[in-house]
Amino acid sequence: MHITSLEGFLSLVRDELGLDTAGVEAADADLADLPGWDSLNLLRMVVLLEEHGRPVPVHRLLQARTLQEIYTFAKE
Amino acid sequence: MSRDTVYLAATGTALPGDPVDNAALAKLLGASEEWIDLFVGTRTRHFAWDPATGEVLRTLADLCAEAGSRALAAAGLDPADIEFLVLATATPDHLLPTTATEVADRLGMDHLPVYQLQAGCSGAVQALDLGRCLVAGGRRAGLLIGGDVTHRFLAARRSAARMPTEELVNHVLFGDGAGAVVLTAEPDGPGERGVALRGVLNRCAGRRRPPGQFIDWSGISDRDTERRMLAEDYKAIEEHVPAISVEIVWELLGELGWTVDEVDHILPPQLSGRMTARIMEHLPVPSAAEVSCVTETGNTGNALPFLQLDRLLPRLGPGQRALAVTVESSKWIRAGFALERA
Repeated sequence: MHITSLEGFLSLVRDELGLDTAGVEAADADLADLPGWDSLNLLRMVVLLEEHGRPVPVHRLLQARTLQEIYTFAKE
Repeated sequence: MSRDTVYLAATGTALPGDPVDNAALAKLLGASEEWIDLFVGTRTRHFAWDPATGEVLRTLADLCAEAGSRALAAAGLDPADIEFLVLATATPDHLLPTTATEVADRLGMDHLPVYQLQAGCSGAVQALDLGRCLVAGGRRAGLLIGGDVTHRFLAARRSAARMPTEELVNHVLFGDGAGAVVLTAEPDGPGERGVALRGVLNRCAGRRRPPGQFIDWSGISDRDTERRMLAEDYKAIEEHVPAISVEIVWELLGELGWTVDEVDHILPPQLSGRMTARIMEHLPVPSAAEVSCVTETGNTGNALPFLQLDRLLPRLGPGQRALAVTVESSKWIRAGFALERA
């Protein structure tokens, strides 16, 4: 289970989704500014969270503006 | 005998099995029904393969023969009346014999020219373009078919989370199906109000442009290849297809001398429920009724315009006009056609 810390979550996003989450600023960066982030990667994120036992509804994810916020929703 | 006008006598379609809704597709992909609802906007599609096992239940030839047979029956013609067959597809059952010749055999057609067009979303229009030339050159009736199947490219074998986005997008867009049209030199019969094909636009405009849709194939020497087999540049498509669609409408209207108010029905590109709605917002045909199928059928590639025609013909009243628009993003082919009922 990787989604036990923000660092673990960012590593998972980097390794599994191939998104560049290097650097502490990635967690707080606006998703629109995250290289490669788009609606299809939102879908991959939905599946990834589901696979790791942290399902988050799409309408909830759409409220998130940063990876930090997605992590917070996943922890809820 | 050279002829100026050709007619659409009848249509036929074939959609395999029961519709697969977004809940079932999401389960198949391990994906999210809510995401498909929101971002694709397609409600159902059909698959000619068993989602649980991957077993191919019906081939492209099966679907095309069914659609062709229905179109022939609706036109009241026998196979012997058909003087040419054109089949358009991106996903033939085999490289040889062609699916077109297999379908001719199944329909009991022999000793006639049979063409297969390797195409995508513009394939049906390419078939109409070729068909009208053949009729203009003296043939009295021809059968045009378009169809595609997804079993070689879509499968629930891999996690959606680990699939490249340009591949993943195909899994939520496409479905299987076939459609057919009978093209004739004369209207249905004496006094019939035939549906005349008034114009066809069929133009590859992809010079120096990277492909928007890519599909590869493999053979004996590379069947275990790791290379990319399927990719869609969905960002380029989202950006360019709405504007290109508007240009196609203006180009068709200009060639025909029609005004925007004279278009009674519009057949827009059928990429997905969401994309088609977006394209419709831009098309300059305020009084036209939309004829779409994608929310129920998914994107069926070469079949789409024929599936739309199947819905249009019963609605096309005397004196009414219709425009169809399609963009094949593989190499950015601009295509469309215009119809008018006498």
